[in-house]
Amino acid sequence: MLDELELLKKDWKRREHDLPRLSFDQIHRMIWKKSSSLVRWIFFISIIEFLAPHLLYLLPSFREGMNYEVADSLGIKALLIGLTAVQYSVTLFYIVQFYKRYQEISVLDSAKALMNRIIRTRKTVMHYIVFCLSMIIVFFGVFIAGIFFADDLVGSLHLHEQANTDPQHLKWVVMGIMGAAGLLFTALMAGVYFLLYGLLTRKLYRNYQELKRMEA
Amino acid sequence: MTQELEHQFVSQLEANQNIVHKVCSLYTDNREAHNDLFQEIAIQLWKAYPRFRGDSKFSTWMYRVALNTAITLYRKSKKQPRTQDFDAVLYRVKAEYYDPSQEQQLNLMYSAIRELGDIDKALVFLYLEDRNYSEIAETLGISEVNARVKMNRIKTKLKTILNP
Repeated sequence: MLDELELLKKDWKRREHDLPRLSFDQIHRMIWKKSSSLVRWIFFISIIEFLAPHLLYLLPSFREGMNYEVADSLGIKALLIGLTAVQYSVTLFYIVQFYKRYQEISVLDSAKALMNRIIRTRKTVMHYIVFCLSMIIVFFGVFIAGIFFADDLVGSLHLHEQANTDPQHLKWVVMGIMGAAGLLFTALMAGVYFLLYGLLTRKLYRNYQELKRMEA
Repeated sequence: MTQELEHQFVSQLEANQNIVHKVCSLYTDNREAHNDLFQEIAIQLWKAYPRFRGDSKFSTWMYRVALNTAITLYRKSKKQPRTQDFDAVLYRVKAEYYDPSQEQQLNLMYSAIRELGDIDKALVFLYLEDRNYSEIAETLGISEVNARVKMNRIKTKLKTILNP
């Protein structure tokens, strides 16, 4: 009796006749269309993610909150300038890393190598995001520390003095608000990022794990 | 020069388009998605074409790019989770389509194959296309031994459909 799988193979070949056929012109039109591949998506989304933390400075309220005048009167201006310098150099480093890894992605690799390279490229962006989120926490932390050590908080923040506010009490309230805002903001950014990351790479990770399981 | 290359590429793809159609038929379940995936594979093949050197056959080279596109690069996959256990799929498919005729049994096998995970599907596809194990292993990036082991497991299961 003929092996069942040979039967299937024969049938598979027979079914070739039922396949659609495209003309030269149809194929020719296709090759100049825009790709909608995962790698293209990853490229654009990563670029947005690199820019996003810097776009925050375009918001007037954010710029005011981080403004150097307030920082100066709190005595943390030098520290903030230093942190900003660190942030920009690290960002530059990650952009270079990202570009290098992105260039290494090749559809001519084996499936496993291709997946591995995409995951590595995406991980570079993830490390950058984790860095940015930590920086946001550090920035807020510096501000809170500045407030804690401020001698004249009401003056520094340009608040209208109200006779009945206890300066010490006010200090704790402002620190509490800053702390809560910092955590909430970081959590929000992290939430949006990991949702996006998960959606983009869910299928990729599943298939990568499947290949790795075969090697186990 | 570019035009010449373009013409050469499109002719080669036109002559070998069956390979791409077969990948599309396995990885998509409607006409629109089929054409969409075909287009994406064509784009990826064209982008990689300058790096295609005549030292391997055009068709061999196509298997790799087509599968990589279907498995990894193509975004619009079906929403349902594809990590189904093979036995569970067989059980369900059998219950749905039981008919002892050969044609039906083949259909049963195809239904089972369609519901496999992306990687298993690639293995079965390359097997049906008569590619040898070293090529299968190289395409997927696993060792030849592991490709054999995995394929034998799938084969045994497929056989049980025809010989319950």
